[in-house]
Amino acid sequence: MANAFAVELRNVVKRFGDVTAVNNVSLQIRQGEFFSLLGPSGCGKTTTLRMIAGFEMPTSGEIYIDGEPLGYMPPNKRPVNTVFQHYALFPHMTVEQNVGFGLEMQGVDKAEIRRRVGEALEMVKLSGMEKRRPKQLSGGQQQRVALARALVNRPKVLLLDEPLGALDLKLRKAMQMELKALQEEVGITFIYVTHDQEEALTMSDRIAVMDEGVVHQVDEPENIYERPADRFVADFIGETNFIPARVVQLGPPVVVEIAGRVRVPAAWAEQGLSEGDQALLSIRPEKINLYEERELGEAGPTTARVEGRIQQMVYVGTDTRHTVRLADGSVLVARLQNIHTEEEPWTVGERTIVEWDAAHARVLRV
Amino acid sequence: MNDANRSHDRLARWRASLGGWILSGYGVLAYLFLYLPIVILVVFSFNDSRSTSQWQGFTVDWYYAMFDDRQIILSLWNSFFLAVVSTIIATVLGTLIALGLERYSFRGKTAVDSMLYLPVIIPDIAMAIMLLIFFNLSGIGFQPWKVQFFGVKLAVPYSVIIAHVAFNISFVAIVVRARLAQMDRTLEEAAQDLYANSWRTFRRITLPMLMPGIIGGALLAFTLSLDDFVITFFTSGAGFNTLPVRVFGMIKKGVTPKINAVSTLMLVVSLSLVFLSIIMRRRGGDDEPIQFGF
Repeated sequence: MANAFAVELRNVVKRFGDVTAVNNVSLQIRQGEFFSLLGPSGCGKTTTLRMIAGFEMPTSGEIYIDGEPLGYMPPNKRPVNTVFQHYALFPHMTVEQNVGFGLEMQGVDKAEIRRRVGEALEMVKLSGMEKRRPKQLSGGQQQRVALARALVNRPKVLLLDEPLGALDLKLRKAMQMELKALQEEVGITFIYVTHDQEEALTMSDRIAVMDEGVVHQVDEPENIYERPADRFVADFIGETNFIPARVVQLGPPVVVEIAGRVRVPAAWAEQGLSEGDQALLSIRPEKINLYEERELGEAGPTTARVEGRIQQMVYVGTDTRHTVRLADGSVLVARLQNIHTEEEPWTVGERTIVEWDAAHARVLRV
Repeated sequence: MNDANRSHDRLARWRASLGGWILSGYGVLAYLFLYLPIVILVVFSFNDSRSTSQWQGFTVDWYYAMFDDRQIILSLWNSFFLAVVSTIIATVLGTLIALGLERYSFRGKTAVDSMLYLPVIIPDIAMAIMLLIFFNLSGIGFQPWKVQFFGVKLAVPYSVIIAHVAFNISFVAIVVRARLAQMDRTLEEAAQDLYANSWRTFRRITLPMLMPGIIGGALLAFTLSLDDFVITFFTSGAGFNTLPVRVFGMIKKGVTPKINAVSTLMLVVSLSLVFLSIIMRRRGGDDEPIQFGF
């Protein structure tokens, strides 16, 4: 089945007693894809991963690998391997024995095990560590052993449960790049669970954003950030302004009223909104510019402008966060890059015109 | 610094050192109270006289006398056989109970769980009488198991073996369970993920990880079985002696240094086993399981 998805979930539900951990999740993960499950803790991402691995069985729904339904197949029969959050290396075995364990269980002969373990350790740059015990390795090295132990089996799908979570920031950044390069090299489908949005955005081909057992959006990193599908995604990924708005026209173009009576265009409105509804206008702080009245240029059809007063300014290095209060009391944040050093800075209380392009503005349900 | 200050300082230092002396003295007395009887017991086992209170000179004759006493030697074999057999059975059963309680949920689990501690907390005498009544009512009686053990002919009542297993199971189960509770379960998941079925996961991961607990529990059971008097005395019927029971019989005819010698021997064996058990469990503490081949 060459055209089948590497992994497919159809209407998967998992309940633990009264708690629904995963609620009707359907996903289609492509061959060779780096796919992330992203969400806050308790969103059901780890449970989803554990169901693919076979440690938990779905309450209802079905999981397919290469088009084949898995049913109640136990973990040891599934063509997937897992990199666990705390690595779960066997403390009583050497690095070599750990990495070779899967091959040994599959009955691969000894010479072949030695050769493949050697290759796998070389791939993760741990050659020469064969005889060490997990306890004698650093966190980063243990992480590599866990990776080698899974990859040496050449699984159809590699499942990774927050594998970088226990590493310090610098090492984590380095490992992100390495992991991504490794995935491209081996061409295996990776399903990567993380609560770190930056990690997901940097590494993934596609991301599924989850919350409370529900998938909110499945998309490429850029779309997840630039075109969030709903309030949760816009809020969870990066920083955003939610400006209270009333839908005037569903368009095209979409028009909403903010800050009392100011009408502004927007790129897109979420399904289920109708004209006259209360909604939220979502716009990222870095998409916003502040002007003095005399600096204003020609307004195009997609230019949105609203008047406000500077309420607060916080210098954060690459940019300065300007908090602006609009006429109706609503507040928005503009992040202005600190490039124009000669320019006169704003002062608190000063009147300003807030401007953005409608392409970056999305109307979301409250 | 003026004089008043200096003398005040000296007083404080003197007080502190006095406190230190009193505290150390108290410690020494407490240890004497605990260990002096043992020291006296050991010392008088080497006394060149029948007296166990007046020192006459050094001898190891009492140890020779002990080993020449066929009754003592037989009771020693009985004790040893009983400890080995009951430890093996209790270790297997206790480990299974620990696994069952820690890994599965079933009807009546809470009841089993709380009853597990019963043999540990109830007085030996209550347990002994309980078992005695049980053996009488059930008709098991005091039938001996006639067996050759390292070439020695022994006749050990089944009832005593059952009794020893009964109180040892709890100790083994508690020790193994503690070990099991601190074991990382994802290790077992990792093994399954790496194509190991349940049996191989148990053999290659769970059992080696549990081994320090199992060996610790077994050594504890062995020591308890070796030292037990009350339960053995009540459940063995007539004519069967373990070493403690034999010593009790000898004491009725008066205390001789031979008894000191026997006691010293038991003390040494028990202490070594307890130390071994502690070492085993400590080695397990830092996550270093024991490797053993299958």
